Amino acid sequence: MLPLYILTSAKNQPILVELKNGETLNGLLTNCDSWMNLTLSEVIQTSPNGEDFLKIPEIYIRGNHIKYLRLPEQTMDQAKEQNLINMEQRNKNQRRRGNNNGNYNNNGNFNRRRNDNNQSNRRNFNNRRFNNNNNTE
Amino acid sequence: MSETDSNVEDLYLESYAFTTAAAIVGSVDRKIFVLLRDGRNLFGVLRTFDQFANLVLQDTIERIYLGSEGSDDLSKPERFGEAYRGVFMVRGENVVMMGEVDIDHEDEHLEVLSQIPFEVAEKELKSIHKQKMKFEKAKTKKLLSKGLINDFAKSDLY
Repeated sequence: MLPLYILTSAKNQPILVELKNGETLNGLLTNCDSWMNLTLSEVIQTSPNGEDFLKIPEIYIRGNHIKYLRLPEQTMDQAKEQNLINMEQRNKNQRRRGNNNGNYNNNGNFNRRRNDNNQSNRRNFNNRRFNNNNNTE
Repeated sequence: MSETDSNVEDLYLESYAFTTAAAIVGSVDRKIFVLLRDGRNLFGVLRTFDQFANLVLQDTIERIYLGSEGSDDLSKPERFGEAYRGVFMVRGENVVMMGEVDIDHEDEHLEVLSQIPFEVAEKELKSIHKQKMKFEKAKTKKLLSKGLINDFAKSDLY
């Protein structure tokens, strides 16, 4: 379970972000991506000296400015649960794929047949042009 | 039978990292110490990490070491303050060093120190940092006048 996976499972929860310049941002994590870019809502921004506060409805943080994040206590357990559910789902899918081996081969055939069709279309098109040429002559 | 085998393989692949950050794989689920570039000392259980050495710590404690009262020498700690911080996700860029903590002996060095409230320690550390910044600023100016450069970054207070 990678750190960013834990971060994504902390969505819609209150987190604290400290930036490299010492500013802290308290808010609900609305979204994050694989660069650790974040969007927070209902944010309280605190200045590096801890004296000035600012209330902001929504904010975007570029990941590379982050020093650290503090997450709610229960996030780790939630991420673990989510991971278990995902693993089970994956295993189920694998089992299903194992039973449907024949279908996958059919799929391959289907593709090939479609290619055949394309080729025959091209052939028809060439023929038509040939015919047209004949007509003009 | 084959099903359990494939699960074991899944677990193995998931815990296997392909980069040099894999060196800390042995410290997972153990108590570690992390020093950040801003001088913070964190003690917590390493739960996971990635190729950038982003770390997730659980049950983290932040501890500030201070010299004797009125001294700004941080190299000879006599007092400390600590605060519980919970789950920490540290961006790898900000880590100076980290290492495993021997939980049998981790508190031994604190016995000779006196504990003070974290807020007091934090305030004192801030003023020490402020002084250091002032000093470095003056140093930069002086060196620059001799055509030299002072290699100091504001965010490096460790």
